[in-house]
Amino acid sequence: MSALLRRIAWHWRYDEKRELWIGWWTLVVFYNLYGLLFFVVARTQPPPKPSLEPSEIVQWFDDRHYGLLFGYAIVFIVGGATAIMNATLAYTMRRMSVSRAFAYSYLVIYALATLPGMLIMGVACTVGAMRPDRDPELMSWLYDFAFLSFEGTMGVFLIGSLVWMVAVLLDRNRVFPKWFGYLNLCNALTEVVVAPAWIFKRGAFAWDGAIAWWINMAVFVTYTAVFLTLLRRMILREDFGSGPLPDLPR
Amino acid sequence: MTNAANTQPRPRFVPGQPDMWAFVLFEALVFTAYFVVYVVRRTQSPELFLESQAHLDLRVGVFHTLVLLASSWSVARCVQAARERSFRTALTNAFLTLLLGFVFLVSKVLEWAAKIEEGFGFTSDEFFSFYYFLTAIHFLHLLIGFGVLAICVHQLWSPARRSQETIETCATYWHTIDFLWVLIFALLYVMR
Amino acid sequence: MRRADGEVILLWTLPAVGVIWLSAFLLFPGFVQPMSPTLSAEEVAAFYRDPENLPRIRYSMIVFNWFAVGLIPVLALIVMQIRRMAHRTPIFSYAIIACAAGGPTIFLMADLFWLLAAFRPMRDPQQTLMFNDLAWVTFSSQVGFLIAQSVILALAIYLDRQERPVFRPWVAHSNLVVAALLAPAAFVGLALEGPLAWDGLLSFWVRNLAVGLWIVVMGFVLGRAIYRQRSAEELAA
Repeated sequence: MSALLRRIAWHWRYDEKRELWIGWWTLVVFYNLYGLLFFVVARTQPPPKPSLEPSEIVQWFDDRHYGLLFGYAIVFIVGGATAIMNATLAYTMRRMSVSRAFAYSYLVIYALATLPGMLIMGVACTVGAMRPDRDPELMSWLYDFAFLSFEGTMGVFLIGSLVWMVAVLLDRNRVFPKWFGYLNLCNALTEVVVAPAWIFKRGAFAWDGAIAWWINMAVFVTYTAVFLTLLRRMILREDFGSGPLPDLPR
Repeated sequence: MTNAANTQPRPRFVPGQPDMWAFVLFEALVFTAYFVVYVVRRTQSPELFLESQAHLDLRVGVFHTLVLLASSWSVARCVQAARERSFRTALTNAFLTLLLGFVFLVSKVLEWAAKIEEGFGFTSDEFFSFYYFLTAIHFLHLLIGFGVLAICVHQLWSPARRSQETIETCATYWHTIDFLWVLIFALLYVMR
Repeated sequence: MRRADGEVILLWTLPAVGVIWLSAFLLFPGFVQPMSPTLSAEEVAAFYRDPENLPRIRYSMIVFNWFAVGLIPVLALIVMQIRRMAHRTPIFSYAIIACAAGGPTIFLMADLFWLLAAFRPMRDPQQTLMFNDLAWVTFSSQVGFLIAQSVILALAIYLDRQERPVFRPWVAHSNLVVAALLAPAAFVGLALEGPLAWDGLLSFWVRNLAVGLWIVVMGFVLGRAIYRQRSAEELAA
């Protein structure tokens, strides 16, 4: 344990790349925490059915009373970590040979994305859970507000992914492999695929459906794991120059 | 997709960028997942699916398939011509591919319009939800394909560019659109 | 030649915005004596229907709406100062930009919910109660970006390794203290009474005073940095 602390202290003091590693570790820790909070503590993912009756929705909130309130409280506290995460990813675009406009676009788009990406749902679920005796019709509205804002807000992630895609494909500094550019397209397409969730209340295209949620989530998880790995390699290769990044020593 | 700084000759295992093949594989996987969901839902309500399917015109489906197969042929000819450095022929074939793609586009939109006219919309029943979803997501890939072909034309136009790798990469993508359509055609139109 | 025109103007918007916010804060009848979460739907509806309250609610919230983004120019000035720090990458300045985009937006949402609650006070009391809840919960619990901007600024200061760092270490320490003071408000949903409730000691008084403290401290420290920078540049010229 003390060896670990000494290593961290060494990096804090001497490692030129410490800002990048702070960014990377923030990403890794945050995504894991996010998964834990949404899937295990609050249990809002995998999502429940849109077709529940108001009385069942009241029951749903009741079953998760403390999970929702605690889980989202933690989300509210750590949610700002996304600022460092998005700054780090924007930096990768700054390191590319493309215009800085890509980095800035990505940064602002994803900064806004935190609202539908977790905060609005957190507020809606908190308000739903805090008064179990609320009018069931209004609980039903809060339920819709939570899940539709979370899954159905597509534009930020769609355009954001496309911005990163174009940057990667045009880049001559070899920051990321070209196939990662294409993977951004796959991620962007999941945002199109989820659109029917605004229409259907049951079946494969509802917000909990096999296509709108399960397959989409598989793509998103793959995408996240991939970019975390690629980002790590990029940081290891980083030479703080402005030309092509060297390869990792074999 | 421009790898202009690619000065070292790479060992060529596949035509075009290996990266594009990775993408093709991944997309094929995702589409396979969609098809599996379709088949599973179909086995759960076979009569409904069969009955709704009867409203699709098989001949239209065949026409679409033939158009895209022809476009794959023309894009392959384009790649071949570029390889032989007859860029005028290559450009002609690229434009032909675009034209055929456009024919598909118009025909698809007309098919959708006809179905909506008959009263079969996205929310009509489960079969039609899948029909519109699969054909629409394919359509989106087709639109992207126009962008890809535009890049191909852009490459072929000026002697300053003409990266064989880029052209082959574009062609790979276009073949994928054709391949995915054949599967969709088989599932939606043929499999009864 | 650094383009510094206008920075002093932007700097002085901070006390102006501070005064405006404080006035709006005092004008809103739900703040001066913070509304209790334990009020029933009828009591909440009565609050919004009360002709003494209604105009004050609307006008204070309209003012907040106008000036919700009031802190952004100041955050941008902080970004400019971070850029002077001895860092290897622009990550910290980018991160503050991200905070600037996120924070005020969500405050605006709380403002919208209050305005909505006040727009049709004759509505079903349950609906008014819900909008009121949404407003208060959003306002109190959304401390994430405020915490982040303090933590990131502190980190940036700690890693600013040069002869004369842009901000002194105590600025970093006090930012961390502010972040810690803001954190409990995130738990506002857990209790309808007591220190964590949205009218309670931690979620209301400590939270809002921490924000006020941050504005005062950063305003002072930023002002000093900017004026020092200007006189150094005038000397050099």
